[in-house]
Amino acid sequence: MRSFSLIDFVSLVSALRWTVTLVVLALAFGAPLALGLAMGRISRFAGLRWTMAACIQVIQSVPLLGLLFFFYFGMPVFLGIQVPALIAVTIAYTLYTAAFLGEIWRGGLEAVKQAQWEAGACLGLSAWQQFRHIIAPQALRLSLPPTVGFLVQLIKGTSLASILGFVELARAGQVVSAATFQPLLTYALVAAVYFALCLPLTLWSRSLEARLDGSR
Amino acid sequence: MALVEIRDVHKTFGRVDVLKGVSLDVEEGEIVTIIGRSGSGKSTLLRCINALETVDAGEIRVEGQKIHSGMPDLKQFRQRVGIVFQAFNLFPHLKVERNITLAPLLTGRIDKAKARVLAEDVLTRVGLADKIDAWPDQLSGGQQQRVAIARCLAMAPHLMLFDEATSALDPELVGEVLKVMEAMARQGMTMILVTHEMGFARNVANRIVFMHQGRVWEQGPPAELFASPKTPELASFIASAK
Repeated sequence: MRSFSLIDFVSLVSALRWTVTLVVLALAFGAPLALGLAMGRISRFAGLRWTMAACIQVIQSVPLLGLLFFFYFGMPVFLGIQVPALIAVTIAYTLYTAAFLGEIWRGGLEAVKQAQWEAGACLGLSAWQQFRHIIAPQALRLSLPPTVGFLVQLIKGTSLASILGFVELARAGQVVSAATFQPLLTYALVAAVYFALCLPLTLWSRSLEARLDGSR
Repeated sequence: MALVEIRDVHKTFGRVDVLKGVSLDVEEGEIVTIIGRSGSGKSTLLRCINALETVDAGEIRVEGQKIHSGMPDLKQFRQRVGIVFQAFNLFPHLKVERNITLAPLLTGRIDKAKARVLAEDVLTRVGLADKIDAWPDQLSGGQQQRVAIARCLAMAPHLMLFDEATSALDPELVGEVLKVMEAMARQGMTMILVTHEMGFARNVANRIVFMHQGRVWEQGPPAELFASPKTPELASFIASAK
C-alpha cells in the first residue's frame, strides 16, 4: 500500500485520452450516420422511414453494455470475425450515438414547420437547398440542448469500456483506488474530472444557443 | 394564348371533391380575384397553379407549359411564379436581406456583389428599405408580409399568386399590404388573388371569379358582378361579406 500521490492524479488525467478517443470516434462515425437516420426518418418513402425507425428502435432498446458485449465477444462467435477491441468498441459506440442523435435530430427537423419547406420550394430551390439553407439551420438550433445532453451521456458512457479492458478514466480510478486504498478520494477525483469535461460543453451549448438565436 | 389556362381541373383530398371541373383563363397583366366561402376550393386551385398540389384530372398550363408536380423543370417554373401565403412563411433564422437574396443567389439569378442592391431595390418597392438588417420577428405582421412580397419580387416573377395574403393580419395592418399589392397591379403584374377583401376585389381587380362547391360559379368584371349577381349563391355571399 502507498499513499495517494501526484503520480496517481497524473495517471487519472492521462487515462482521459481514452475517454476522449472513444468520444471522438463515436462522434466521427456516429454523427454522419445519425444525420442519415434522421433524414431517412423524415423521408417521403415509407419503406425507408420504417427501416430507419426499426434500426433505431433495436439499438435504443439494447443497453449500451449489451452493445459493447455483442461486438466484443459476439462478433467472433456469431460472425467468425476476430476484430481488435478498439474496433469492436468503436462500432458499439458509433451505433449507440447514431441511434440517439438520429432521433434527437429527427425531432429537430420535424419541429420546423412544413410551410418552411414549401416556402423554399416556391422560390425554386431544390429539396437539398431547402434542407441545407432553411430547414437544417433551424433544426440545429432546436436540437442543440438535447444534442449536448447526449454528448454528456456519451462521455460518461465511455466508462463502460473499462469492462473490456480500456484504461479510460473510470478504469484508471479503479486501478488507483486499488493501489492506494483511498477509494473515496480517488472516485471523488474521477467524478471531478468528468465534471470538468462536461461543464464546459454545457456552457458552450448555452452560448451557442444564444448566438444561433439571431434575433436576440 | 392566355398566361394561365386551367381546363376542367379536378382535385380530391381523400373522399372530398375539392375541385369539380374548374376552367379559367387569366391573361397577361390581368388581376383576377377569386372569392367564395371557405371550402369552396379557391386556395386549392391557387396551390395547383404552382404545383404545390397535383391535379387529379384536367390540366393547367402556364405560359403554354403544362404544370404538374413531377415536371422536370419545376424549379425553373417556380422561379417565375411568386406565391404569398397567409402565414408569410419568412425564414426566421435569416435577416430580411438574406430572406430576400437566398433564392436569387442559390438559383444563380444574381451574384453576391449584386445581392444587397437587389434586396434594397425590392424592399424600396414595398416601402421597407430601412428594415433590410432586421430579423423577421422584429417586424409587424404587415411588414413581414411586405417582406414576403419583396422576396417574391426579387425573383422577377411573371405571375404572382396571393393566398389570403391579408387574412392573418390585424385590421389596421391590412391597408399597408393592400397598398403594395395595388402598386404591383398598376405596374402590370399578372396577379391571381384569393381574398376576403371585397374592397380590393371591387377596386383593383379586372375580374372577379366566384367559386362555389368546387366550381367556378360565376365570373365577370367587379362592378357588374357586385351590382347584379346572376346566381342566388353569389347574391347571398355578397350580402354576407358586407
